[in-house]
Amino acid sequence: MIQVMDLSKSYDQNEVLKHISLTIPAHQVVAVIGPSGSGKSTFLRCLNGLEMITSGAITVNNHHLNATESKKKQQKTIHRVRQDTGMVFQQFNLYPHKTVIENVMEAIIVVKKQSKEQAKTIASQLLKRVGLQEKEDVYPSKLSGGQQQRVAIARALAMEPKIMLFDEPTSALDPELVGEVLKVMKELADEGMTMVIVTHEMRFAQDAADRILFMADGQIVEDAEPKKFFSDPSTERAQKFLAKVNEF
Amino acid sequence: MDLIIDNIPFLLKGAYYTLLITVVSMFFGLIIGLITAIARLKGNRFFRNVARVYVSIIRGTPPLVQIFIVYFGLVDFGIELGSLTAAYIALSINIGAYVSEAFRGAIQVVPAGQTEAALATGMTEAQAIRRIVIPQAIRIAIPPLGNTFVGMLKETSLVSVIAVTELMRSAQLLIAQYYVYMPFYLTIALMYWIMSTVFTFILNKLEKRLSVY
Repeated sequence: MIQVMDLSKSYDQNEVLKHISLTIPAHQVVAVIGPSGSGKSTFLRCLNGLEMITSGAITVNNHHLNATESKKKQQKTIHRVRQDTGMVFQQFNLYPHKTVIENVMEAIIVVKKQSKEQAKTIASQLLKRVGLQEKEDVYPSKLSGGQQQRVAIARALAMEPKIMLFDEPTSALDPELVGEVLKVMKELADEGMTMVIVTHEMRFAQDAADRILFMADGQIVEDAEPKKFFSDPSTERAQKFLAKVNEF
Repeated sequence: MDLIIDNIPFLLKGAYYTLLITVVSMFFGLIIGLITAIARLKGNRFFRNVARVYVSIIRGTPPLVQIFIVYFGLVDFGIELGSLTAAYIALSINIGAYVSEAFRGAIQVVPAGQTEAALATGMTEAQAIRRIVIPQAIRIAIPPLGNTFVGMLKETSLVSVIAVTELMRSAQLLIAQYYVYMPFYLTIALMYWIMSTVFTFILNKLEKRLSVY
């Protein structure tokens, strides 16, 4: 479903991602963890073109993106990639001037060119799925962080993506609101959605993910099953990180 | 006092033209300003520079000079405009530059995450700007635009010099007829003040209504 080949990303002289290669098959749930500044979010943002790659190639759902191609060609590919990919952000990024249901309907109308009625039906179903059907006509500012993030998930699902990307979806939430968002994500995972999740929620990574990518200094240091990773990490870097996390 | 009351219809007609010029110029100014702001922020180098030079020239020259160029200057190129048309054109171009600055500031205040969210759902950049960024920017821009609007109302008095009989020139005509100054000037000052206040009031209401979220 996703294939990354020798991907590097630099800002000026600063190399944030260094020669990353990996393959993610369909229906796999991948948790990307690691210390801040390790390039996790940048990696995720490269997958749907919010960051342009400096070198290497990415294939997402048969769309081939290569850093050697012209910028225009890459933009075209990225636009197609985004149609198949949903993304959920740390800060939710809901449209504040639109109601909850309008947030979800927007892309169905604008990108998929479906009628308002169709969009409304689809959006209603999605909001029901994330447990917010009674909030349809409310503005996002009236919702809690957890509710906002669930709307954001519904909005991403509106495009019927084959892949969902999550960029620290619970990091901006109050602790008691984390659970409701993780629950929705777990349901998605159980339904077989291909997911790449950048997260600091170790327990969730352990429970819901099929695979852990541990990143440090712009590289994938460890790539393992959750059980193996959390009980017996093979690199010193991962051991240190887990020891720090477990202090709390 | 009788003098004023007798001539109120004439002054009101002047006030009507003042309002008309303000609203028409503001309407076109908003369109020019929005296009200019987008050109400056998202255009390629050519459009960016054209927009920048336009704003710089308009903001760096007196509006009176701009009005004279449009009304008298263009005659040299065979373009003879009626005074009201010239007023519309000159003031629209003038106000467009100021409006673009208000829009530019507002567009920059809309968080980058909004565009990213829209792009991530598969929108093109143009769709993201039109559907997500601009509607939010307009709300943010209302207070500075309100100031520009009230400023415009007062600036229309300048077009009296090209014989547009708006409020200012109405007073001048009456003064030329009766040889009394103060009553007429005080009256139109009061009328300008009332119009400004009403505008400000309406804009405040509009701002409140649009900030429901």
